[in-house]
Amino acid sequence: MAARHFHCTACGKCCHGQLPLTCKDAFANAARFPLCFVWTPLRQGSKDYLQVANLGATIKLPGGKKLAVLIVPTVYLPSSFPCPALGSDNLCTIHHNKPSRCQTMPFYPYREERFQAELLIPRPGWDCDTSTAAPIVFQDNKVVCREYFDLERRDLLEQVPVLRGYADYMLKYSPALVSSLLTAASKARAGHVITSLSSFLTATKNSEATHLAQLQLPILNEYLAKTSGYPQLNDFHKNYLNWSKEMAYLAQRQM
Amino acid sequence: MALCPCGSARDFAECCSPIIEGAPAPTAEALMRSRYTAFVMRKLDHVERTHAPEVRADFNRAEAERLAEECEWRGLEIRSATETGDTAEVEFVMRFCREQQEVTKTALASFRRDAGQWLYVSSNVDSHATQLRVNKVGRNDPCPCNSGKKAKKCCGTTTELK
Repeated sequence: MAARHFHCTACGKCCHGQLPLTCKDAFANAARFPLCFVWTPLRQGSKDYLQVANLGATIKLPGGKKLAVLIVPTVYLPSSFPCPALGSDNLCTIHHNKPSRCQTMPFYPYREERFQAELLIPRPGWDCDTSTAAPIVFQDNKVVCREYFDLERRDLLEQVPVLRGYADYMLKYSPALVSSLLTAASKARAGHVITSLSSFLTATKNSEATHLAQLQLPILNEYLAKTSGYPQLNDFHKNYLNWSKEMAYLAQRQM
Repeated sequence: MALCPCGSARDFAECCSPIIEGAPAPTAEALMRSRYTAFVMRKLDHVERTHAPEVRADFNRAEAERLAEECEWRGLEIRSATETGDTAEVEFVMRFCREQQEVTKTALASFRRDAGQWLYVSSNVDSHATQLRVNKVGRNDPCPCNSGKKAKKCCGTTTELK
């Protein structure tokens, strides 16, 4: 297999829209990013099923089949919105301390290592350098410069028990989640299901809930205002509004 | 006299009000009614306080506060209430309007009496419970996994490049 070259030109194009984070990075940046949890279900038989089952939760369906679900703390942004940490000079303002997801780009350790090559193909409009002048980053089905890939993978594996506990909680108290996930996994209407930070904080009995809510509240209100008056951003606007109400309650609560 | 929101046709001041203020509920049904009324009156301390200890920490109070505020409460109907010693089951129908949608929820709730106090333990909501919002992704839209690829060419369909 041919060696694959890649060099980031800092074009900033990938710094837009939703950004999956590790739990650690999500909470470390609670003052910066509007957070939610994105559930992506995969049906048995899908190619990535095992990897997703490994990093996420497995849900038994009536009838004996199973769904693998990736549950990811996510920066919740419309795809056209730049990352709040992207500076006016189009460079990252937290470069020295950015989330592991950004460090590892363009690799994506949510997928098996041998499937990483296709992630090096620049998306339309991106200015990644993949010419032979760029360093070799992937060879013989292996990531060459692998420090961040391994770190992010390690964090993803470490947080699995917490996310499974969260899945158990949600399935116990929101049994309708299963039908939502089934709808999302069906071929005709592929999609994901979004759950709130408040549900995660409750499920995991997070002792920092009040503090995290105080950090989230202003950022949610900021995006509530930024998405106001755009019908195409209505879903985002509504979620920001709901979560802002929840965080406002938590922020003032005496634990 | 103000009619109690729980639908008992009794005076609020003599029905759910004292229970919400902390008087012990005489029956599991009375506790069920007072918890519904607490949602209507947005007095969720009562709802939290009357969860059994083993499920109290699971109560997402922030979400409940939001729902209590958002919903227009249409009424409660108790279908049956069975007490057996210190345990009880209450089947109820709850109606409310949320996001311009009329919702009817039927559930069987379990209660337990600890040291003379009735506590809520769990409930089986019927299968017609409201679905969470599913964010549709078209086959040609970016995949929700944020890979930047089209959904139809991403999760579940990854290919090994040679």
